[in-house]
Amino acid sequence: MVFDWQQVIFLLEGVPLTLSISIISFLIGIAIGIPLAFTRVYESEISFAVDAYEKVFRGFPEIVLMLLLYFGLGPFFPIPFNNPFFVACFVLGLRSGANQSQIFRGAIRGVGDEQMIAGISVGFSKWRAIWHIMIPQVFTFSTPGLGSEYALLVKDSAYVFILALLDVTRRADQIRIHTNDFVTWYILAAIIYIALTFPIAFYLDKWGNKRKKKIGL
Amino acid sequence: MSDFVMEAKNVFKSYMIKGEKKEGTKVVEAVKDVSLQIRKGDIKLIFGPSGSGKSTFLRCMDMLDIPDKGEIWLGDQCLTKPGVNLNKARARIGFVFQHIYLFRHLSVLGNVELALRQVLKLPKEEARKHAMAALEEVKVTDCVNKYPAQLSGGQAQRVGIARAIARQPDIILLDEPTSALDPELTGEVIDTLRDLAHEGTTMLIISHEMPFAQEVAEEMIFYDEGRIIETGPPSLFFNAPNTDRAKQFMTRIINRTTR
Repeated sequence: MVFDWQQVIFLLEGVPLTLSISIISFLIGIAIGIPLAFTRVYESEISFAVDAYEKVFRGFPEIVLMLLLYFGLGPFFPIPFNNPFFVACFVLGLRSGANQSQIFRGAIRGVGDEQMIAGISVGFSKWRAIWHIMIPQVFTFSTPGLGSEYALLVKDSAYVFILALLDVTRRADQIRIHTNDFVTWYILAAIIYIALTFPIAFYLDKWGNKRKKKIGL
Repeated sequence: MSDFVMEAKNVFKSYMIKGEKKEGTKVVEAVKDVSLQIRKGDIKLIFGPSGSGKSTFLRCMDMLDIPDKGEIWLGDQCLTKPGVNLNKARARIGFVFQHIYLFRHLSVLGNVELALRQVLKLPKEEARKHAMAALEEVKVTDCVNKYPAQLSGGQAQRVGIARAIARQPDIILLDEPTSALDPELTGEVIDTLRDLAHEGTTMLIISHEMPFAQEVAEEMIFYDEGRIIETGPPSLFFNAPNTDRAKQFMTRIINRTTR
């Protein structure tokens, strides 16, 4: 086999897309997960809605929703659903929100209600105490969970294969078509995915541990 | 103007303790018809057996627990009326917890500054000035950049007190501020409270530090089974309390401290 560097570069050019889908959906997940988790813990009247959201979005493959939005709604609402990049980030973000809600909920219980009461006692409203006192500690608490959630998203970003986006997976497949090499490029793609997930998850965990030590958790 | 900084009128509070089975659920009547008035500069001390509801009553005063019945007044404002801005009211009340509850993610200075900046909305320099003054008052200026986890228990509780006094509240409520500390560290916290007392700070304290009570309290309140059993100056309790229950309790406490 002749190792073609041009093919390698073509494969690596999928990294920005894979990374941006995972990072954007991770951020959407935080933006959904944090409010859901606090609603679940502190607003018992509507916590059933959070429960329902989590059950639904953790309960079916995200690829089904991607197909539904892209092919089902895309023709009728070309903005935004005809954009595969948007659909990918949106769907993975919704799913990640459900996962992260559970991660953050555990962290909120770990931080403890006492911190909340102390915040309220100095004159904060419930939501401002959450912002100033709970959220900074909740992030510290949830680093291991967030690390694995991020890794999950990097891997799940490969679903965009089906929406014809040129991410790492789809590029590997295209090179396979050209070269008729059924092994090398898939292995290379796997190595790239590991390289994308491992360092960030590792760093998050390390940062979390350092921070936990500092604040005595 | 009301004569009182704070007043509790016929306050009731009960809560449920959930057992493992349905029959195990118990209703605890922690506060039963308690009334109390505090004037400016008053130092009142609540004492009584553990589990009698003292802490619940103190939390009701700060509306951290909402009373089932009765009224809490802060100056001219009735806090138990619906629609009152409790956050504004709590900013005028300092609260010191038995288990301290410093904000773990903030430095000592950050702990004291936070409410000044974010609740009272003071400009940065002014907040810093007030925070440092409060920390000076409790004598922990040497570790303002440390985190709560790095402090001794006594230091931590003094920071807790600084956090409560920095915003110059109308009154400070202290829930057994020394009982979670080593006997060795109790002294430094008591010294801080004594300083505050001599400056005329209005305080309602739950404590069993009897020598301290004798020295600074105008009035001692014996609390048992959700009720105020007897009130009077320290001399009353140390010589001859009127009720048998208080007599019994004082005997036990004094024996313990002199042993």
